Amino acid sequence: MARVAREMVEKAGINVDQLVELLVKNAAAELTTYYYYTILRCNLIGLEGEGIKEIAEAARIEDRNHFEALVPRIYELGGKLPEDMKAFHDISACPPAKLPTDPTDTMAMLKVLVEAERCAVRGYTHICNMTAGKDHRTYDLSQAILNEEIEHESWFSEFLGEGPSGHFMRRGETSPFVSKFLK
Amino acid sequence: MKEFTEKELAQYDGKNGNPVYVAYKGKVYDVSSSFLWKDGTHQVFHSGGVDLTDALEQAPHGGDVLEKFPVIGILRNVVFDTPSKP
Repeated sequence: MARVAREMVEKAGINVDQLVELLVKNAAAELTTYYYYTILRCNLIGLEGEGIKEIAEAARIEDRNHFEALVPRIYELGGKLPEDMKAFHDISACPPAKLPTDPTDTMAMLKVLVEAERCAVRGYTHICNMTAGKDHRTYDLSQAILNEEIEHESWFSEFLGEGPSGHFMRRGETSPFVSKFLK
Repeated sequence: MKEFTEKELAQYDGKNGNPVYVAYKGKVYDVSSSFLWKDGTHQVFHSGGVDLTDALEQAPHGGDVLEKFPVIGILRNVVFDTPSKP
């Protein structure tokens, strides 16, 4: 634990235990999403599915990166991950991004993907609002993750006909915002 | 439709096997089936068995997220959307 770092956050008026619980729940969401997206990616096949596979893979890897980036902050603030992975799964801040009943239904796949991203966007927006001007390090991290989650949402929403994102897919690299926390 | 007082609503907090009910703008919703309301709490800060109307004003989502859950009653003595006279 980083004792003084935690004290600074407490002095700024944040309930650190609640913040840590929220970070653990979001770390659970990232790792479980990484797992469920693995299954989705494997099933994104055929003429329609192949077109989405690449961005699903980028989102999958970046969600794993988000988990990796969140863990040190949880421990710095005096928190820890649950010892039981089943319990970790069940406290996730977002519902499981499960494979649709018909895995060949590409629109159903996209809805699962976009809903997962929207849950994450809401979650990190909440953490940013909570920590802005008070817990600079958690804010910086959450904002970096939020930037990537917003891009994921817009990639998938394009395929659902909700309008252009203005983005182009990643060019080989992943986590352009979060990578600074992974070094 | 069943009417709930705040005290009655508080019994449905998701603890000890109870269902999770929450109120929003006078309607009482059963959110027991939601993954995000396991154990009667939602995103650390919110508890079941209460009126969340004010809390939802601050939430990163609107009240529309409740539309997929069944309305099982109304909260007594709560009036919303009363147009003000010019």
